[in-house]
Amino acid sequence: MTTDRKFRFGVMCSHAESAADFREKARQAEALGYSTLFVPDHFIDHPLAPMPAMATAAAVTDTLRVGSLVLANDYKHPVVLAREAATLDLLSIGRLELGLGAGWMTADYEKSGLELDRPGVRIDRLGESITVLKGLMADRPFTFHGKHYTVTDLDGQPKPVQQPHPPFLIGGGGPKILALAAREAAVVGLNANLRGGVAISDDAARSMTRAATDDRVARLRSAAGERFDDLELQSFVGFTNFTDDRTSLAEMMAGAFGVSPEEALETPVVLAGTLEQMIDDLQARRERWQMSYVVVGVDVMDEFAPAVSRLAGT
Amino acid sequence: MAHDRRFRFGVQTGGATSAREWKEKARKIEALGYSTLYMPDHFIDVPYAPMVGIAMAAEATASLRVGTLVLGNDYKHPGVVAKEFASIDVLSDGRVEAGLGAGWMRTDYDALGLPYDSPGTRIERLNEALAILKGAWRDGPFSLDGRHYKIRDYDGIPKPVQKPNPPILVGGGGPKLLRLAGREADIVGINPNLRAGEVSPDAVQDSIAAMTKQKIEWVREGAGDRFDDIELQIRYFMTSITEDRQALAEAIAPGFGLEPGVALESGVALVGTVDECCDLLAQRREEWGVSYVVLGDDQYEAFAPVVARLAGT
Repeated sequence: MTTDRKFRFGVMCSHAESAADFREKARQAEALGYSTLFVPDHFIDHPLAPMPAMATAAAVTDTLRVGSLVLANDYKHPVVLAREAATLDLLSIGRLELGLGAGWMTADYEKSGLELDRPGVRIDRLGESITVLKGLMADRPFTFHGKHYTVTDLDGQPKPVQQPHPPFLIGGGGPKILALAAREAAVVGLNANLRGGVAISDDAARSMTRAATDDRVARLRSAAGERFDDLELQSFVGFTNFTDDRTSLAEMMAGAFGVSPEEALETPVVLAGTLEQMIDDLQARRERWQMSYVVVGVDVMDEFAPAVSRLAGT
Repeated sequence: MAHDRRFRFGVQTGGATSAREWKEKARKIEALGYSTLYMPDHFIDVPYAPMVGIAMAAEATASLRVGTLVLGNDYKHPGVVAKEFASIDVLSDGRVEAGLGAGWMRTDYDALGLPYDSPGTRIERLNEALAILKGAWRDGPFSLDGRHYKIRDYDGIPKPVQKPNPPILVGGGGPKLLRLAGREADIVGINPNLRAGEVSPDAVQDSIAAMTKQKIEWVREGAGDRFDDIELQIRYFMTSITEDRQALAEAIAPGFGLEPGVALESGVALVGTVDECCDLLAQRREEWGVSYVVLGDDQYEAFAPVVARLAGT
């Protein structure tokens, strides 16, 4: 189905002071007009495991969507994940957005003793997982003999409320993962290339400049062909800063990330300036890159709310 | 600390038909005086995923405990399981019971395309997994150089609310598993031996009362001095509140491949009037030390009078 490219917004809830605080943040995100509360999936740093966190966020809200940004495929078997995702979709009455990635954070793999295979293998595994997930959510027994997973005549239970399956959000930064997303996703998260295994690096920053993003969207468009119009493009704005003087801020960021000040302001992972400047930037980015689904960090959820009320649904 | 052996009751339920019904069921179980809602972990014939189901059930209730009876250890990495249990413990303000077993149902392994290793190997993996759960929940980083899992310098987050850890429930039926449970668990579920990979006549024969006594001895062997600290649990599979035990036994025993008299003597049978069931539970607590009684989804309402009379006594 062709997406309308209307703006919607998500909050990345990567931390909470307590269980009460987490619930409050979910309710607040709903009240402020955000579409979706997202949670990450790492062994370290982030306090709540994604499945229980999404279940709880859904339980304390009525219309807020809940999502993973993103589940690392290697941490769970897709048959296990299919059952959990479908249960969550059922118990939230159709509010799940199933975000998946190939897995990238070196620390997660090291600490848990999981094998960190090369990106090609991880992406291949993710591709098989998506086939398994969709197969088990469909309305008949499913058989699959892949390189990584084997499923024989299994009728997945339960079935999700959203049909044929909850929207798959596939996040990534390299060409292979984007090709997979072009083929399989409803929402594509255009992320930095994290082949370095850590979140912040010069390599990751350079992969998110305007020129690199142009290139990446073009690649996605060409991989998707006619499907491109069905894809909702998402950006996760990891750095949001309200200021009257964004020039100075840009210079500072430029130094820190090894890009030019202009590049620092143009990248889709940064929003800096006044509310009006941010609104202009978001509109320009939607124009240029079709990015209509914008995720901000939970720490700026309140401050950013005026932009949400101005743009959401437009 | 020695367990007080007061009665408490749980319900094992695989799910419901809708979100609303699931919440209502959890609230009803709570209102009837049950201590705990447990979910099984299978891929065939069980509607919901346990970790999502219990998180939702906890959110719908105020004091009900929630747990797994039991997770098949092989289906998820223990680092993931540790984080999920700790998260639910935090989100439920300390109401989770972490139930694990070695995995036994062959159809689950087929569903996941996983090898069905020998019981010894599965139990060895469970042993390492329990060390990982406890290590992840304790303060500070820990490492484990196991045969099956390698954990390096992992300081698990979140830390659970219950200290030093949420109660660990290990269920099983064979000597190796029950000795391990005696050594490591806070709650031990005394089950039929399911070495056949399915619920078979072998498992039913293995549930006779004399075997139950033997199994508790295995727990004691593993537990040593800490035996008195362990809460013993039985999930009752043949249950009915009835005026006529004999007629009921004659009706259900053939289905289990048993003589009616043997069926009534089974360690997993709880059949009779409310008075008779209460007496039997009291007698078994006296004899076996079993104080934690778990019933199935279709029986918890019928047994509410038993719960009302015995829970907390």
